[in-house]
Parts: sequence; structure tokens; C-alpha cells
Amino acid sequence: MSAHPHASLALFLLVAVGFPLAALMVARLWFRFFQPARPGATKQDVYECGVAPTGDSWIQFKAHYYLYALLFLVFDVEVLFLLPFAVAFTGLPAGALVAMLAFMLLLAEGLVWAWHRGHLDWS
Amino acid sequence: MNIDYSLFFRAMQPESLLIEAALAIIILDLTVMRRKDLSARLNVASLVGALAVALAAVLALRNGAMGEILNGVLNLDTLAVATRVGVLGLTLLVLGIGTGGARIRNPAEYVVIVLCAAVGFMLMASAQQLLLVFLALELASLSLYVLAGFDKSRPESAEAGLKYFLFGGMAAAFLLFGFSLLYGLTGTLDLPGMSVVMAATGFHPMLAVAMVMILVGFGYKAAAAPFHLWAPDAYQGAPAPAAAFIASASKLAGFVLFTRLLWGSASQGQMLGATPGWVPVVWLLAGASMLVGNLAALAQSNVRRLLAYSAIAHAGALLLGVIASGRSGPGPLFFYLTTYGIATAGAFGVFHVLENQGGAQKLKDLAGLHRRSPLLAGCLMVFILSLAGVPPLSGFFGKFAVFAAALSPAGLGSPTGWLAVFAIAMSAVGLYYYLLILKEALVRPAAAGATAVKVPAAAALTLVAAAGLTLIFGMFPSLLLRWF
Repeated sequence: MSAHPHASLALFLLVAVGFPLAALMVARLWFRFFQPARPGATKQDVYECGVAPTGDSWIQFKAHYYLYALLFLVFDVEVLFLLPFAVAFTGLPAGALVAMLAFMLLLAEGLVWAWHRGHLDWS
Repeated sequence: MNIDYSLFFRAMQPESLLIEAALAIIILDLTVMRRKDLSARLNVASLVGALAVALAAVLALRNGAMGEILNGVLNLDTLAVATRVGVLGLTLLVLGIGTGGARIRNPAEYVVIVLCAAVGFMLMASAQQLLLVFLALELASLSLYVLAGFDKSRPESAEAGLKYFLFGGMAAAFLLFGFSLLYGLTGTLDLPGMSVVMAATGFHPMLAVAMVMILVGFGYKAAAAPFHLWAPDAYQGAPAPAAAFIASASKLAGFVLFTRLLWGSASQGQMLGATPGWVPVVWLLAGASMLVGNLAALAQSNVRRLLAYSAIAHAGALLLGVIASGRSGPGPLFFYLTTYGIATAGAFGVFHVLENQGGAQKLKDLAGLHRRSPLLAGCLMVFILSLAGVPPLSGFFGKFAVFAAALSPAGLGSPTGWLAVFAIAMSAVGLYYYLLILKEALVRPAAAGATAVKVPAAAALTLVAAAGLTLIFGMFPSLLLRWF
């Protein structure tokens, strides 16, 4: 009897689910039988790499980074298309250069737009 | 593999034109219009956008049905051309009713995103390959999420955008999973190739899973019951032109895409719809949508929510049209979609003008509209009566064509026939709440201190044109139907 070609997947799934469950179960049993329940101020404190925590952990921070990530994408795409263009540059006609310039101008428009709308101001 | 790029570029002329116009609008807004006030910027951006849309429609018509492009990735058949032109017309309508409302803070971006969504709809109309189907759907959907939440200063709009986004994202996940199963089963992404493989291999249990996933995805996108829960909140909170766009052009492109997925085009023979199990599930969705939409609409006091439930009810009738178009071709469904889109976008346009002047959405705020603005009241009457399906208007003929197509193959001998009878009964229920709107607008006297409504010129022109089209398509339905 030959196994189904995907039988190994079932085994993999079993291990993937079983291993974390087993580990959690062991931790639970350890907690149940060996660990005394003694909560305290120090134990319940916020953990900051061993340094004594300062201030509240529930603070507001500026979720502004995504705009920079989006703007980075502009240049990312630009480089993606510029590299193959640069490699084949010597063999290309003048029209290709003009097309590439138009493409770069369009991408630059995205940057100009973001700049003009004040998305680059960090305040 | 030999690809004819010149043919491809020619076929994509309308789409490219819209994208170029979008870039031009941003440049204009950044340079010439920089110091102008919001309403001037909105008007200029809308004007450029509208010109581009009109030109794109001319190009799409001139190119005509070009057949398969890029080795069958796109199929520009008659239905695709008609849908492209229909989407562009509805976009024009949405741009027209959007002018005059200076409440939008980023007018140029608004028009640009409307154009992007229109490009997504146009690609949906012609896509023949699952990857392109999904990309086009997401381009359109992402633009619509942004549009729904565009009025950032109002919490309702943000709520609408977020709800629409979360539900839509869920739907996209279902759809993508269904597509990936289809790809896994057949080993091809092309829809025609897929149906060939499926006809050869027969039914596979996994196909049922894929079918359910795809139907859930489309059900969400089309706001069919029981996946309709996002629609009332999105329609209520979104800016009125955005809601009009969601209700009209998105429905048109979405249902055309769904029909294509199920039935293919005339030259290709049947597609997924030929495999067992699809039609009964669509049948159930259609029945549930008509029931839930019509009954829930009876209890609404907010006009936008009422239109949302009416949209759910119409989605049910449209799903019936999808089933029927397997035999009759897409003509009746396309007619229904177009005329419904015009009427519902027009009704949203009327409410948009009213909201700009008073900011109210309740049914009773319509009181005395016939005195405050006879033009708006007249247009509203045409749109609402067309939605209700009252004779000389196009909504009647749309319903007639779809029901006739559903009844003609086997009469009452098939479940589809009985669903058509149920749809007719539900239309009678619909008449009640549509007339409630008209009663407020045309019969009830205005509240004390109500002032006349000033209608911006562009909006007035658009609304009158839409009302005229509703009337003309109702009296001469062959204008649309002769395409098929």
C-alpha cells in the first residue's frame, strides 16, 4: 500500500499543532504543582529589559511611519525599473530615454504631492 | 508566446487616458490651482475628470469589440464594451453630482480616486484571467474604501469607510482562497481553459469548497443577504457621491464579472455555471436578498439606509438575472444594471444636494420638496418610480426583461420561474417604501421656516440628464438591448 503523496503534510500538521500544545501543557502542569502563587508589585510590573520602568506603558505615539514607508515605495519602484534600463542603456534608442524620464517625472510627482500636502513635516 | 503590444495599447486606450487624466489633475492642483478655494479646485478637477471620462467613452466605443487581447487575458467582447461605456457614464454621473459640495477637504484627490476606481471597474468588465480579475477587483475596492471614508471630518464617514474596508477585506480573502483552489484544481488561470479542464475531469469535492468561497466573496461585494450587513452603514455614512458610486458602477462591473465567471461569453460556451451546485446557491442568495432587503427597508426612517436596503433587494433581483443570463445572454441583466445604476445614483445625487444645504438625511426632512425645489422633486420622482419599477420608466423594463428571461425557458416548471414570481411579489412590497419617499417629497407640506433649495448648475444638469435617460431607456429599451 502506497501512502498518499500528501500524507507527509498530515504528519506535519499533527506535529505543528501537537508540539505547542504539549509545551503549553507541560508549562501548565509545572505551574499547577511546583510554582507557588505569590503575586507582588515587582512581579506584576512592566518588563523593560531589566531596567526599572518609567511612566505608563499606555502612551500615545505618532503612527506616522507608514507615510514614509509609502514614500520609500516610490523610490523602490523607481530603482526596480531603473536597474534593467541602465544595464541595457547602450543598446536603447532615444525614445526609451524619454520614456524613462517621463516615468521618473511621474514618480517624482508622487513625492512632490506628499511634500506639498505636508506629509513630510514631522511635528 | 507572441504578444501583440500595439493591439494591447490600443485596447487599453480608455484606461490609460483615465490614469493620465488623474496624474494631470494632481499636477494642476499642485500648480495652477494651489491658491484657489476648495470649491473652485473641486470644480476644475471634476471638469478635467469628466472630460477625460467622456473622451474615454468615445475611445471605448470607437475601438469596439476587439476580441481577445494579450493571449486571452482580456476579452473585449460586446458585453465588455457595453460595460465599459456604462461604467464611464455612471462615473460621469457621480462626478456631476459631486460638484457644488465644498465639504470635501481634498477635492483633487477625490476625483483622482474616482477615476482609479473607474479604471478598476473597466478592467473587471473585460478580465478573463483570475489574476487580473482579482487585481481589478482590488483596485476598484480599495478606491471605494477610500471614497467611503473620504469625509474625514465626520465620524460617520470614517465608520462607513472602516466597516466597508473590513468587510471588503474579508470578502477579498474568501475570493482569493476560492480562486487559489480553482487554480489548484485546474492548473490554469484562464477562465476558458479552466472550464475546459473542469468539463474533462468532472466534479471534484474541492470544487464545492472553491464555489462556496467565491460565492461568499461575491456575495459580500454585491451586498447580497446574508452578507449585506456592511451596506446600510456604508451607504449612510459615506459621502453621497461615493455611496452613489458604490451602488451603481461597482454593482454594474461586479455583476458583469460574476456573470462572466459563471457563464462565459457567447463564443466560449458555458463556464463554471455548468458545473453542478452553483445555480441553487445563487438562487438561495437571490431569494434571501429580496426577502431581507424589501422587508428591512419598510422599517427605515433614514433615506440613505432605505436606499441601502433597496440596493440589497435589487441585488437579489440581479442575482436572478445572473441565473437567467445563462440561457438568455447578458442583455436583460445589463439593461437592469445600467438603469438601476442611473436611478440609484440619481437619487443619491438629489440627497447630496439636499444634504449640502441642510445636512439632513431623515425621511421627514424631504417634506415639501415640491415647493422648495420643483426640479429636485421631479428628478427624485423619476428615479424613485424607476427603482420601484413603474411603467414608462426604465426600471420597469429592466425588471420585465429579467423576469421574462427567468420565466421563458421553463415557465413555472423550474425553481428559477418560481423565484421570478417571488421577485414580482417582492416588487409590490418595494412599491410601498418607495412611495413613502415620494409621499414626503411631493405631498407633505414643508416644515415652517424651510427655505428654497439652490441646486448647483452642474448637479442640476447631471440630474436632469439622468432623469431623461431613465425615461428614454424606459420608452426605447432597444437603445441598450440592441447591443446584445
